[in-house]
Amino acid sequence: MIELTGLAKSYGRARAVDGMDLTIERGQTVALLGPNGAGKSTTIGMMLGLVEPDSGRARVAGLDPVQAVRQGKVGAMLQEGRLIERVTVRELVGCVAGTYPAPMPVGHALELAGLDGLGGRRADRLSGGQVQRVRFAMALVGDPELIVLDEPTAALDVRARQGFWTGMRAFAERGRTVLFSTHYLEEADEQADRVVVIARGRVIADGTSAEIKNVVGGSTVAVDMKELTAAELAELPGVVQVEIRNERARLHTRDADATVMALAGARAVHNLEVTGVDLESAFLALTEVA
Amino acid sequence: MLGYIGLELRRTVRDGGYMVIAITLPVAMYLIFSSLGLIDEDGGLYMLVAMAAFGASGAAFNNGSGVAEDAAVGWLRQLRVTPLGPVQVVVSRAVVGMLVVLPAVVAVLTVGGLVKGVELAPWQWLSIGTLLWLGVAPIVLFALGNGFLLSGKAAPLANSVLNLALAILGGLWLPTSDFPGWMATLASWTPTNRYAELSWDIVLGGSPSAMAFAVLGGWLVIFCGYAVFGYRRARLS
Repeated sequence: MIELTGLAKSYGRARAVDGMDLTIERGQTVALLGPNGAGKSTTIGMMLGLVEPDSGRARVAGLDPVQAVRQGKVGAMLQEGRLIERVTVRELVGCVAGTYPAPMPVGHALELAGLDGLGGRRADRLSGGQVQRVRFAMALVGDPELIVLDEPTAALDVRARQGFWTGMRAFAERGRTVLFSTHYLEEADEQADRVVVIARGRVIADGTSAEIKNVVGGSTVAVDMKELTAAELAELPGVVQVEIRNERARLHTRDADATVMALAGARAVHNLEVTGVDLESAFLALTEVA
Repeated sequence: MLGYIGLELRRTVRDGGYMVIAITLPVAMYLIFSSLGLIDEDGGLYMLVAMAAFGASGAAFNNGSGVAEDAAVGWLRQLRVTPLGPVQVVVSRAVVGMLVVLPAVVAVLTVGGLVKGVELAPWQWLSIGTLLWLGVAPIVLFALGNGFLLSGKAAPLANSVLNLALAILGGLWLPTSDFPGWMATLASWTPTNRYAELSWDIVLGGSPSAMAFAVLGGWLVIFCGYAVFGYRRARLS
């Protein structure tokens, strides 16, 4: 459904997206997870034909992104954006529906987005959470094959988030492809079939949320390298990744206890150090490797 | 596309304060100018056309400014991720612009006929009504281009200034025959002057000149390109 090959985009000297390769199958719900400034929005902009890549290629539904959008295969909820004045919610969502070849009934879209009963309200007189839901309704009302949501929950409180994800899952269950970006690990974990971690404009990890958590959510065990080779260290229980620097090994592990026990069994404990990894430092560690 | 046109039309009409000003201003100015002692009957006819044209031009520029405000709230960016293409957006907005100029034109002509007792042959009323409506197209497109290219704050300012400048230079407030020679020449190249001239020629007992159509047609082509260029280069947020 989405195919990115060697996609790159710079703004001045800053490389926003730096050689992105990514393929997303039809029907998947995929999270694009990364810290602020990782290149998520720029990547999404190129998928939607809003941003012209410097090099590489983006294809959506087998088409150039601009063509895919023109043919109504894509719906998008962009970051930020207020709603226009002097129209009702129903008029606004209905206007967007009218641009698609085979939209769903406006009432159905309002329901999926959790806007039942608000159709007659003026769009410029809604709360922040309601505005977000209207923007979600505009993304899905065309019943496109793919919806792209750029940080859809950034402005929402916990309860509004839950409501939002319920609507998103209901849409995905229609067999549609959903791609959303977030910088919350829990959201990616709970909502996506597949998590693509990006940092500094590159894909640094890609898999199910369980696989990703093993990489970014575990602990780091550091020891001086003496008895064991890098390959042997990588075989230790729990270890998912090995970094070697200055004769010191940093083992990313999902089970620090098991890893330490195994090191001890091999009499390889020298200057042992165990640290928990928070998301931000895991990203940094991963990008240094990448 | 029809849905988008309908939505934008409703938004304009629902702006009650704007609608009152857009209709009242040219009507009031017409009533004041045409009632001045020094204005003869021809002067009254001149002002009838001039103020209808001024009202239409004001509505056209306001329509263009609205586009810049849409860009500022992210609406243009939202439209760009719908199947509506660039040409369709520009055409829709131009159609909206062509429709929102109508109230001012109709109001000034109606007041002229009913309140000021202007007497014209039916074909003359029909002709100037049509020309005052369709002739505003280049200005609608010019204002749209500005709206796409300028920020939400700069566009209304630029469009207001241009509206006044083109009205004055185009002879909508004072006849260009009172201008110094170089300024009259300059005036004859403005879209506003040629736009009003089509109808002046009709009410003052002549027919529009080919030159007026040619100059206006030239501006139409230029501003059409400008509006499409503007949308492609538009600030999307």
